[in-house]
Amino acid sequence: MFISKLKQALICLKAGRVTLPYPYKPTAPPEGFRGRPKIDIDKCIGCAGCANVCPSRAIEVTDFDEGWRRIQFHLTRCISCGRCEEVCPEEAVRLTDQFELSTNTKEDLTVAIEIYMDTCQRCARCFKPQHPLDKMMVTGFRK
Amino acid sequence: MLTSREIIETLGTKFGKQILKAEEKVSNQVFVTIVPDALMPVVCFLNQALSARFLINAATDRREQDGRYTVSYIFSFDREKIFLCIQVAVDSTDPNIGSITPIIAGANWSERETRDLVGINLRGHPDPRRLVLADDWPQEIYPLRKDFPYDYKPPSEPQNKVPLKKPPKGTKVIPIGPFYPVLEEPAYFKLFVDGETIVDCDYRGFYSHRGIEKMGDSKLTYNQICFIAERICGICGFIHSTCYCEAVERAAGIEVPLRAHYIRTIMLELERIHSHLLWLGIAVHIIGFDTLLMQSWRIREPVMWLCEKISGNRKTYGMNLIGGVRRDIPSSIYDEIVRVVERIERQTKEVIDAVMDDTSLHVRLKDVGVLTKEVARDICTVGPTARGSNIRIDSRVDHPYAAYDRIDFEVAVESGCDIWARTLVRLKETIESVKIVKQCLLEMPDGPIMGEVMEEIPAGREAICCVEAPRGEAIHYVLTGQDNRPYRWRVRAPTYANLQCVPHIIKGERIADVPIIVGSLDPCYSCTERMAVVDVRTGIEKICTKEEVIKR
Repeated sequence: MFISKLKQALICLKAGRVTLPYPYKPTAPPEGFRGRPKIDIDKCIGCAGCANVCPSRAIEVTDFDEGWRRIQFHLTRCISCGRCEEVCPEEAVRLTDQFELSTNTKEDLTVAIEIYMDTCQRCARCFKPQHPLDKMMVTGFRK
Repeated sequence: MLTSREIIETLGTKFGKQILKAEEKVSNQVFVTIVPDALMPVVCFLNQALSARFLINAATDRREQDGRYTVSYIFSFDREKIFLCIQVAVDSTDPNIGSITPIIAGANWSERETRDLVGINLRGHPDPRRLVLADDWPQEIYPLRKDFPYDYKPPSEPQNKVPLKKPPKGTKVIPIGPFYPVLEEPAYFKLFVDGETIVDCDYRGFYSHRGIEKMGDSKLTYNQICFIAERICGICGFIHSTCYCEAVERAAGIEVPLRAHYIRTIMLELERIHSHLLWLGIAVHIIGFDTLLMQSWRIREPVMWLCEKISGNRKTYGMNLIGGVRRDIPSSIYDEIVRVVERIERQTKEVIDAVMDDTSLHVRLKDVGVLTKEVARDICTVGPTARGSNIRIDSRVDHPYAAYDRIDFEVAVESGCDIWARTLVRLKETIESVKIVKQCLLEMPDGPIMGEVMEEIPAGREAICCVEAPRGEAIHYVLTGQDNRPYRWRVRAPTYANLQCVPHIIKGERIADVPIIVGSLDPCYSCTERMAVVDVRTGIEKICTKEEVIKR
């Protein structure tokens, strides 16, 4: 019993202090960390593939005002699985290494982008114009 | 050693025309359809003559296909590595079926769940109280029926509250819960005590249903379920997602590349290492030995960092998809993995050496919470709880999945039947897991990590998969369906089987030992209660607002 307690004390002494001073000192996550997703409005073509595969339905796609498409990332629902990053054909979604997302206002955790799309003459659904220059021709491009 | 063909032939000669259909749908998985009247004799025969082990039953609402409900009873032939699924069609106008609980005590919860969620009434069940549904859930509303919308919120009917058992004469009642203080999880034990000694107990749990199975067969797609399956449990998440993926892959006949199998094996074993070290910490914390809690969690932490480096998150790896894994383990970090697990092995051995002769641990753990081999068999306990009672079952050997059929390792079995034996089993397994990880890294072949997935998974296929979680075996049954989602997805977490033995192992013990006895099963309530639908707040309970909490 006594030897056993001595051995235990030795293990504790050998380990020493192991706690990290977080949050007083920031810690950097390792490479390849799955943090909050970030969307690049210049690359996004509004295909909504990310919204389709999202397991937690964190990505909402709405069409409004004939030709405008709004893509909202509700980070409160996001589980950082990275499926959106995986399926994005234009590499517009990237997972960052940010993980400190606590906030007092819930709205801070919604990221929305609005992009101009063309409307299909036959089915009236939105699609991205063929040429990137085309969208420059639209007045009010990128509100 | 029986083969699948011999099992079918044996049943055929014994029961003749009562067997309607028998086929081996997936390799080593036999599905047998029988007439409802033959259920009792068949189950009796399987349990007693063939010594098959009961796993779960799953009821499916198949009224859309053939106007009936189907109840599947899944049995395991451990040495033969075969699953046997006995299926019975139940008439939809008056759905009822004979209960098999009098024959197999371990079927108790599973059968009550069938009644609660699909509405198949049980004839001759010894304890037909409500189990899964909330106290105020209305009668005659069954959430897993196909005509029940996934987001429907039925009106509250508080009069349906489940009556708890009456205390035996001369005993006092001591409630523990509804928020179990030691394990920080919701469960309610009502202990009947005579002085210090526990005479009997009653359990009411299932407070944390989340409707995952309903979501799986009504809203999500095959690949989305992998992620919600991972969130069934906070500790053994990867086990559930692997189990689900393998079940779908087996049902659909998808080939998974060998490298993906190896990666799954490595992640599963890393998860086992950190889970067992976590359990060790919590168990000794329960008996007030916080030094060991601190040290075992310190030893555990590098595994979490390692997993974060491999998968991008310390706990929810999110690596599984149908057909393989999403992230490769680059050869550049092989050395680091070996270094980390070897250090854990060394430090764990040091700790084992230090605490093995600690008499205060012996006093608290030896001959306490004794689970005899007979009871363990009868209740169908699994994992370290069963292996601590000298039952050699381990689905890594019995029903190999991932790359386990290529790996040599020893199954830790102890014959002490008490908490100490369960502790030893877990410690031995931790050391064994380190070996498995190292062996995997040595043998892992190069190649793709994602298999070819056909455009659409055909409907109507079914398969079972069993994965050895740190707590015991997790079982997923999948019946594929239309619209890129399963028609039925049944999950059983290991604690579901183990928790049923609590009344047996706390009988005759003292009140102070209850926390560690329950803790020795490594219970995980959120796993066990993955199901049902709405919230569980009864009308009586008051929910405090944030302001009220601050005011107090």
